[in-house]
Amino acid sequence: MVRKFCLALAVAASALAIAGAAWADFTILVPSSAEGDGLRAAAADYSKMKGTKVEIVQAPYANVFEQAANAGATKSGVFDIILMDDPWIPFFAENGHLEDLTPYFKNAGMEGPDDDFLSKSLAICRNPYNTGPYVCLPYVGNAQMFFYDPIKFKEAGVETPKTWDDVLKASKALTEAGGGRYFGYVFRGGQGNPVVADFMPIFWSYGADLFNADRSKVTIDTPEGAAAMKTFMALRDVSPKGVESYNANEVGTALAAGTAASSINWPDWVATFEDPSQSRMVGKISHSPIPAGTKPGSSEIGHWTMGIMTASKNKQEAFDFMIWATSPEQIKISAERGNPPVRTSTFTDPELTKQEQFRHYPVLMEAIQASTPRPRHPKWPEIENAFGIELSKAVAGTITPEEALKNSQAAVEEITGLK
Amino acid sequence: MLESDKGTLTTPPRMGGGLERWAERHLRILMLAPTVLILLALTIFPSLYMFYAAVHKISPNPDLPWQFVGPGNFARLLSDTQFHVALRNTAVFTIAAVTIEFLLGLGLALLLDRFIRRLTFLKTVLMIPMMLPPIAVAITWKIIYEPQFGVLNEIMFRLGLPLQAWAGDVNLAMFSIIVADVWQWTPFIFLLMLAGLASLPVEPYEAAVLDGASSWRQFWDLTLPFLKPVIAIALLLRVMDALRLFDLVFILTGGGPADRTKVLSLYIYQVAYRFADTGYAAAISLFVLFVTIVLSTWFMKRMRLAE
Repeated sequence: MVRKFCLALAVAASALAIAGAAWADFTILVPSSAEGDGLRAAAADYSKMKGTKVEIVQAPYANVFEQAANAGATKSGVFDIILMDDPWIPFFAENGHLEDLTPYFKNAGMEGPDDDFLSKSLAICRNPYNTGPYVCLPYVGNAQMFFYDPIKFKEAGVETPKTWDDVLKASKALTEAGGGRYFGYVFRGGQGNPVVADFMPIFWSYGADLFNADRSKVTIDTPEGAAAMKTFMALRDVSPKGVESYNANEVGTALAAGTAASSINWPDWVATFEDPSQSRMVGKISHSPIPAGTKPGSSEIGHWTMGIMTASKNKQEAFDFMIWATSPEQIKISAERGNPPVRTSTFTDPELTKQEQFRHYPVLMEAIQASTPRPRHPKWPEIENAFGIELSKAVAGTITPEEALKNSQAAVEEITGLK
Repeated sequence: MLESDKGTLTTPPRMGGGLERWAERHLRILMLAPTVLILLALTIFPSLYMFYAAVHKISPNPDLPWQFVGPGNFARLLSDTQFHVALRNTAVFTIAAVTIEFLLGLGLALLLDRFIRRLTFLKTVLMIPMMLPPIAVAITWKIIYEPQFGVLNEIMFRLGLPLQAWAGDVNLAMFSIIVADVWQWTPFIFLLMLAGLASLPVEPYEAAVLDGASSWRQFWDLTLPFLKPVIAIALLLRVMDALRLFDLVFILTGGGPADRTKVLSLYIYQVAYRFADTGYAAAISLFVLFVTIVLSTWFMKRMRLAE
């Protein structure tokens, strides 16, 4: 009797395991954030409409990269689609984890994505950047914007901050008047990705870059880099104590609580700033493109893009879903769910732009079109880490800004093998 | 042999006598086999695989073969400045945190030994920090340390003291992590010491009192030697755990500011999962394993536990 029961249990367990493995027609890995929630909702709509079973796996930001890299390296085929942050594209594409979408477009009778997508949004989905084949499709149109409190800035003598000098002038006055409880500027100073993300727009706005045009030389320790670093250090001096450990949450909270007057941040924070249950600054925060230095300002682009994993066993189903999810209708629905769009038609849709919650769309579209991608290198995570350590040291004051540039130059040269 | 219902002994029917004899002969092996197989699958195989990975350069591209580099990954440890920083920070954290936890735990146990035995509720309360998941502890302390809205700075502000960047200041970040760890793990040492004190024999103390030994003399010559095995176990477990510190650093500081809190576990995680350099990560992991084994062996010998 016991033996029969055990046997039945084993058979049932096996059946369940097999059913579990074959539960979904395809599986998507997404981050545990607004971007992932948006795609999850879209996938649910798709399932209802097509009768297709879509499984969504959500993980924290860093774990999405790790899980996708692991799945790619082991060819497990556990994920069919991954929702990627755009700086990850070279790593996944150049290590053979991403499917070239060209034949799928051909099979569908398309030359490629249509012209309604913003050109900068499409450029990042090609590998190499803007010239290679498409390895993904853009889904969430993130690019940094400059957020500021116009009333406070006006009080400090700056009507509209157009340059970093304007920002510094207003921030200095506001921090001095703040008595240690209010600050003119706040930024992500946490080691690694946070500090690099908030330094790059300043770096670019002084004409500096990590590499020269043909990527044959590291160009961090240059006069342009030094000028950018000087401004960055001046901004640090008017920022709250402890900014060395700040990430996006701390920066967003400072603005929403009205304890800081300005910052660089991502557009998904607009919803928080305009939500009375989370913000004291509803309707009081303005947005502008990144201020200029000695050159026009440029945002860091941070799009979320969908790519098909090479080891996927459901590539055609995955491609069909991606085409559907990035259609004009679906991108508009995604925008209404809170994710910035990637299509001109959505950015200029009067139904959306007349609503208060989308008033930042013209600025965001301008920011995307003036954006710069993070250096497209398969070793970008390692480069970002090394650069982030030296920037963190400079922000913390344990080394001079000059040393930070010199050390970063040496570290990135060693990682990339470029001299 | 079985006892039948008529009360006589009968031999059970044989099913394939050869097989049964073989099973009887190898009964011990058969009984041990499942355990050995599980051990092989869960412990031995991953360990051997790590050794194998540590002597290879492993590309994240699955189509590229593993490249044998011999001791190359271990040689990299000598020139890798980030590894040296992580090693130094791990040593600082381990020595500071475990020393404070031990002194506090032992001190509290000695102070409260007589009172707490009846207060089961207090013991339960003291166990709460170490029952919490490390991530929950880290997030709690992140909220406490938050420079603008954190409770600690609010207290500082109300007392008229200067506000501090607890997790963001290069001089305070490691201290802040140690404080959080001490909060979580001092109760562990405290409870072990309490158990040790409860098991001490009474007679030597009675004799010591008759001989006129002071309390300090009793502590030094009786309590400490009697507690030695418990102290050894407590310190050994805490040192091994401190060498693996990850959660608090990952959540509170991410290794910063300025690399001041980067510890070995965090660095291994970065090398393996952010830089996709699995071979080198395996080499660092083996180094940590080696250090842990050497420390544990030395420690056990010092405390005469090996006997």
